[in-house]
Amino acid sequence: MISNPIIQVKDLCQNLDENHFILNKINLTIGSGEFLALVGQNGAGKTTLAKHFNGLLKPTSGKVLVDNLNTKYVKVSELAQKVGYVFQNPDHQIFHNSVEKEISFGLKYLNLPAEEVKRRTDDALKAVGLVDYRYAHPYSLSRGQRQRVALASVLVLKPNVLVLDEPTTGLDYRESMQIMNMIRSLNNQGHTIIMITHDMSLVSTFAKRVVVLNKGEILLDGPVREVLSHQEILSETFLEIPPISRLADKLSVIGIPKNLLTVEEVYRALCDVRGAEK
Amino acid sequence: MYKLNNLTFYYKNTEVPALKNINLEIAHGEFLGIIGHSGSGKSTLAKCLNGIIPHYQHGRMRGQVLFNGNPTETLSIADISRSVGSVFDDPESHLITMEVEQELIFGLENMAVDPKEMQIKVENALEAVGIAHLRNRSINTLSGGQKQRLAIAAALAVEPKILVLDEPTSELDPIGSKEIYNLLAKFNKKGITVVLIDQKVELLARYASRIIVLNQGEIILEGSPREIFSADEKLNKAGVDIPQVTKLIKMLGFRYGKLPISVDEGAACILENMGIGK
Repeated sequence: MISNPIIQVKDLCQNLDENHFILNKINLTIGSGEFLALVGQNGAGKTTLAKHFNGLLKPTSGKVLVDNLNTKYVKVSELAQKVGYVFQNPDHQIFHNSVEKEISFGLKYLNLPAEEVKRRTDDALKAVGLVDYRYAHPYSLSRGQRQRVALASVLVLKPNVLVLDEPTTGLDYRESMQIMNMIRSLNNQGHTIIMITHDMSLVSTFAKRVVVLNKGEILLDGPVREVLSHQEILSETFLEIPPISRLADKLSVIGIPKNLLTVEEVYRALCDVRGAEK
Repeated sequence: MYKLNNLTFYYKNTEVPALKNINLEIAHGEFLGIIGHSGSGKSTLAKCLNGIIPHYQHGRMRGQVLFNGNPTETLSIADISRSVGSVFDDPESHLITMEVEQELIFGLENMAVDPKEMQIKVENALEAVGIAHLRNRSINTLSGGQKQRLAIAAALAVEPKILVLDEPTSELDPIGSKEIYNLLAKFNKKGITVVLIDQKVELLARYASRIIVLNQGEIILEGSPREIFSADEKLNKAGVDIPQVTKLIKMLGFRYGKLPISVDEGAACILENMGIGK
């Protein structure tokens, strides 16, 4: 159904031991250019699933195809050029003593000419707004800035797919919006975005499709609006629809449509109702 | 309980103060929320309350922190921690033992609690945060959310009079965060003073009795949640979000008696302004 699939997961199981599974029979196809949010409560298997997308984990059974390559037979280093993974805690992946070195590190192993390395590093620095911090030590930056360094060091490899594990944890509101707008513009440029989060306001504002994981299985999968309409199922999985969507539901008595996702949508709907009254 | 007089603090080798002329009183039984952008001084303030500054982390300190009338400089950390339980934002950095049960016993042993009483205190604290079933688990098998709960249980086990918590729900899913807030509210009702640093405005709006907003080391706003969130321009400048419902009411320019900060209040305000529901 999905044209141009970039990641295909077929009957994926990941077992802890004979009796315990972390993922059970996951089937999922992600198309190139999608903006998908992977949600679920603590321990649902979100990160475990995502680590299969770049081959960090291999299936116990079933298979994962990335760009039609079976991850079981492809080296992680090769997959890293197709699927970039930005970890939840940037400090787990930053290890150089300057922003520039950190960002260009991955390029060293691609045997690219020096100009190309410089050009890609420049582009990545620009994309994350850190041009002025080129020579700074990563640990002299704020957590939000370090998050952007981690993102840039993945971007230089120009992967089609970006997996972002909780990209806004530990960030304040302003930094969260900066990084999310950046991710949105990368999606507009054609990158496939897979974002792990439990912040449903982020999901409703930025993602287009949501996959809800619960106890290692896919519970819901669909467009954001459709998935968020299943309030009861979501609350079983310890997720909550954003306050603004709950407010909209309470206003259905005055003709506000259900399943609105953002403050702006509810504002427009209320203006429409007011306009019609006059 | 606490009285901060003109408190200014510089970390070692820095020219810009992390806290600037802070004047603040915290009364017994309060539920105080502290909010602000990253780098605004929130964590520094928490460390001044629990004595880590000036006892462990050194720097230049001007002004005074009085705890029950005594300057914290003259008290030992051991004295302070008999009454003040602390939870930091990164649970990994403060869990020190191998097993869940040991983690709690560690604190109790330091307080010279009778071994017979220990069992009960451990059980109560684990039950309070909902992880009694993990009592014999090895800490490195816990999820991020479970570790945060354990850190809170360890602080609770010693039955402090005040809890100082620095983003204790950063890795919890929405319902998990709400559970922790409910728990804190419950302890607060029993008379424990709660000082909570967080970015989650929707929850702070609902639970805190008073909020202070920090911006570049200074207190720029102080008051009830309703008072704080009506100052949206100042908050915007400080990089702090306001609850979605409040944002919508402000966009609509609706009249209100008291500023709506919850879904129910928002719905009532809208219906009233649209001429319905009276």
